[in-house]
Amino acid sequence: MVSLFRPKKTTPRLERLRNLSLFVNLTPPELRIVDGLLHERDYLAGEVIFDEGEEGQAIYIVASGEVLICRQGQGEIGAVAHLSAGTFFGELALLDNSPRSAQARAATASQLIVFFRDDFVGLLDTHARIASKISRELARHLGARMRDMALAYGAHQHL
Amino acid sequence: MSDSESINGTNPGSGPIVWATIIAVTCLLLFLFQKILWLVVPFLLALILYYFLCPPMQALIYRGMSREGAASTVITVFLGFVAVAGVAVMPWVAAHLADWQDMLNRYIQGGMQLLNRSLRALEVHWPTLANAHLADTVTSRLEHGSGSLIDHLEPIAIGIMAWAPSLMLAPFLAFFFLRDGRTFKRFLGNAVPNAFFERTLFLLHEIDRTSRAYFQGLIKLTVLDTITLAAGLWVLGIPGPLALGVICAVLAWVPYVGSILGGLLVVLVAATDFPDAPGMAYWAVALFVVVRLLDDFLYMPLTIGKSLELHPLVTVLMIFVGGAVAGISGLMLVLPVLGVVMVIGETTGIIVTDARLMARHRQARSLRKALASVDL
Repeated sequence: MVSLFRPKKTTPRLERLRNLSLFVNLTPPELRIVDGLLHERDYLAGEVIFDEGEEGQAIYIVASGEVLICRQGQGEIGAVAHLSAGTFFGELALLDNSPRSAQARAATASQLIVFFRDDFVGLLDTHARIASKISRELARHLGARMRDMALAYGAHQHL
Repeated sequence: MSDSESINGTNPGSGPIVWATIIAVTCLLLFLFQKILWLVVPFLLALILYYFLCPPMQALIYRGMSREGAASTVITVFLGFVAVAGVAVMPWVAAHLADWQDMLNRYIQGGMQLLNRSLRALEVHWPTLANAHLADTVTSRLEHGSGSLIDHLEPIAIGIMAWAPSLMLAPFLAFFFLRDGRTFKRFLGNAVPNAFFERTLFLLHEIDRTSRAYFQGLIKLTVLDTITLAAGLWVLGIPGPLALGVICAVLAWVPYVGSILGGLLVVLVAATDFPDAPGMAYWAVALFVVVRLLDDFLYMPLTIGKSLELHPLVTVLMIFVGGAVAGISGLMLVLPVLGVVMVIGETTGIIVTDARLMARHRQARSLRKALASVDL
């Protein structure tokens, strides 16, 4: 019976999840719980993942491939960011149901991991420790983005 | 209209066509479910068990157990608990069976006497009824029709035996809900095209939320019914108010029919324990009518109806429709079935009428088609 509660060996799938910045602080048992909540989707190059203005329900994590974040319908001309494996986008959807601020398209054939807001909210109720670790990473990410924006704004002013 | 609004297509919400479809599908499902009650009842019990056992299973998973191990453990512990409770209770039940039989007979006799007294009182006021010998006719028919208690126990025992294998499905189903629920949800999600994926996930969550809310609403309703009825019976001075309140509240899970059975029970107790005070039985009837009115027109819309986000008028009307379509099973199943069909119908309506989502789906299909034929 005791062996049932011994720490189990991590699997390649869990290792891959642990390498994602959002889940970097989770332990293998915690990753196993989160893994049960995640969905995997395959997108072809050029396929729309979500549109600007659409109500966000989930955060997307790039498992492989590349994703273009751009102004609605402008493609590369209106590119805001290019995201590669390990990064995530649409994170504000985890916090509220505000409209998406940009369009997301698969720049190359991509595999995305999807974490749904209601699953995250459920995690806050049932596994607050896991949810707090994810929230901290999310806050760090948002903080870094704000710093980048402030720096960019400052640089612009300077110029 | 902003660019984003025009891009995201139309979202008119649920119109009369969607709602007519929802009600028609609900009625059709109730009619079909009535035919396969042997499967629907254990399925519902399994759902209740699933929502009950989900938190301890999550706790075991968090402590490092696999999902399969945790599901097996909680179901085994539950079945073990039921078996131990059964073994512990059986001798006590066997020892008191004779007493209960006497008590039941006593309460039935008490009820018959109350009815006889009431009819004779009516005969005094209306000579027509006296000429028709209403009291003697009804009493002799009831005595002839009711027979002995043993006559009634036999079909009940046969019914329990017939339902037992079907009810044993409940823990079996609950185990698979616990173990494979997420896999099933993921399987459903994978079958949905990318363009509709977020909406479909939202739909699945809403169904889960609706089912959970229904069963939680049912528990709240039972507590409210128990408190109101127990308080009323306690004020009247009827013995065992809390036990009677609990029994009547559980019986009320079957709308209307369960309430009538509960009311009969309370009246029987009042008439038997206060044979010289017939007014007590009438007060018990009055109390029960008030509680039922509160239950059907206030508590149920506020708890189950509110949890399903249904308009109180729709809740009440659909209960009547359910009863008309599928009898007692329709009364019991109408609200949860309507809740689930409503979520599916509203979401499907939103997806189908969203021009942008349909356009994205067509684009994804053309991309896949082009990829499949790239080297042809």
